[in-house]
Amino acid sequence: MDVSSILASHNAKYQLVTVEKETPIEVDAGFLTVTDANSIDEDTFNSNIEEHLQSLARDGVQTLLAKLFSLPTLPSSDGPLAQLPPPTTQLPRSKPLPKIKPLTKWEQFAKAKGIQKKRKDKKVWDEEGQEWVNRWGKDGKNKQVEVQWATEIKLHAAEDHDPRKAARDARKARVVKNEKQRFANTAWAQRAVEAREQRKTEIQRTLAQSRLSTASMGNFDKKLEGEKKLRGIKRKFEPTERSVEQEAKASLALLSRMESDSKKMRKNPTSEKSVLNVRKAVRFASKGEGGVALGRKTAGEKSKKGGKK
Amino acid sequence: MLRVVKPRNARSKRALDAREPKEIEDARIAIFVKGTHTGEVVNNVMKDLMALKRPDAISFSKKNVIHPFDESSPTSGSSSIQSLEFWSAKNDASLFAIGQSTKKRPNGLTFVRMYDGKVLDMVEVGIENFVSMNDIKSAKSTPGHKPLMHFASELFDTHPRFIQLKSMLMSFFNGEEVESICLAGIEHVISVSCAPTPVTLNTASTSADTATSLPKVYIRAYTTKLLSSGTRIPRVELVNMGPSIDLVLRRHRDPDSEMLKQAMRRPKLKKTDVEKGLGKKRKNFEVDEMGDLRGRVHVGKQDLDKLQTRKMKGLKGGAFDGETEEERPTKRIKTS
Repeated sequence: MDVSSILASHNAKYQLVTVEKETPIEVDAGFLTVTDANSIDEDTFNSNIEEHLQSLARDGVQTLLAKLFSLPTLPSSDGPLAQLPPPTTQLPRSKPLPKIKPLTKWEQFAKAKGIQKKRKDKKVWDEEGQEWVNRWGKDGKNKQVEVQWATEIKLHAAEDHDPRKAARDARKARVVKNEKQRFANTAWAQRAVEAREQRKTEIQRTLAQSRLSTASMGNFDKKLEGEKKLRGIKRKFEPTERSVEQEAKASLALLSRMESDSKKMRKNPTSEKSVLNVRKAVRFASKGEGGVALGRKTAGEKSKKGGKK
Repeated sequence: MLRVVKPRNARSKRALDAREPKEIEDARIAIFVKGTHTGEVVNNVMKDLMALKRPDAISFSKKNVIHPFDESSPTSGSSSIQSLEFWSAKNDASLFAIGQSTKKRPNGLTFVRMYDGKVLDMVEVGIENFVSMNDIKSAKSTPGHKPLMHFASELFDTHPRFIQLKSMLMSFFNGEEVESICLAGIEHVISVSCAPTPVTLNTASTSADTATSLPKVYIRAYTTKLLSSGTRIPRVELVNMGPSIDLVLRRHRDPDSEMLKQAMRRPKLKKTDVEKGLGKKRKNFEVDEMGDLRGRVHVGKQDLDKLQTRKMKGLKGGAFDGETEEERPTKRIKTS
């Protein structure tokens, strides 16, 4: 049996979809990008630019598609979805990495106990109305007792027992409790972060101190691998020459700093200490009745005197 | 700077949350800005680039006094960089394409990339030749479909200016990490290639790195036509879609190294990803059928002669060593 013709046709098929290059074409399937690192052939470039560019692009795209079509796929309604590998090219991010949120007290507990988070549906089935209603919010199920026209109460309930008010109070209390817990969690997280930062600086300071506390001030110590050089405080000087504008600004800033109250040692330097304690003198003169009473008294005497005349 | 607003209702909170940093980022939004004077060519180039970038593009219709490469422009009060940062924060955009045509630098287009609301790097190109999308009568790609990208020239791997250009264009068109793609939805390819590398670039050091000696860059966009080849992999044919833009590289600003380091940081790999074999190759780790991560530890042969046994006064002489060794097994037998 002669299979050479079959093999030849098979090879011909593959030749159509494979591209041979001096340097193999680099494919980054994650970013759908292909880089052809072969140098540009000057002859074909000069003969017909457009054709040259198109053939280059075709080779690249063919290689990329060969890679994409050989990726594992998942079926979907729009056709097969190729599962892309993570990209190999490193592109700068547009925003910093998200900060890791500290766990709340409940989340910590749930993690320790292995409790999975269950999402509640926003709607619940209302048996009486035979419809889906909001769990909370507008016409929420949690307000049902407060709005329904009749509520069953126990036989020996107190005279002034209002089931609507009781339900409302309970709901409001839950909201308050939740808010309180939320505050506690954020405060706790804040404290944890602060403590960690504080500890970090503390350790760094101790380390720096200990490195300088040998007889040679750390000169002849063994250096560990990757150990950084100790850095003191670098003095910074302003440039000797500056524009008039900047100089004026700096001088004004200095003046305003001198004038400002925050830098003053004595807050009220104007009033000298008097020998007389005014408050005490008034109390004595008025026989403990206060300044107003004293004023009234003196005014009365004056008018009396006037009357005699 | 922008006022930091506290969301007053759930809708605005959702909108603000959508702008928060994410581990896997969305496509960068690009703003197209016209400078003080843009000619017809620059206008059309920006229009076409916008058509390619479409759902993630914002166009500023008015002219703006903006000179991103000049430290502070005399005509406007605030510097151009400040305006870019302001627009970026306002629109949640991290890319700019600024068109500007001057006598000294005709038909200029500047790409600006931002990180964390600050300018990361900039590339200025001059448009030498341009054929619009509308002038080429062929089928166009659907807006919103992800393009393939093709770079051809060794310069994109070796020359810093071209590496920057490649990175910038990839950020522009393709910088979004996606998990999967519908193969039927691949419609077009943006091809970027260079003129043949001049000899000076191959031999000389970076001192000969002037803008004039850099080869031209050709940007082409093609639609793909997939033909059956009898195998799983189709044979592809390209049809010119437009735009065709020929560029020369002009000024540029390299990223600040510290800022770039920050921008290049990757999220920590998850445990499942490590098990899949991502990240650093780790020896002697394997995942068994149950999905448990197993490690094999190699310990050197233990030297039992130097093993520290119990110290007792009576054992110090050395003459009784033999006895103690014999005693132990007998004891063990007793207990068991």
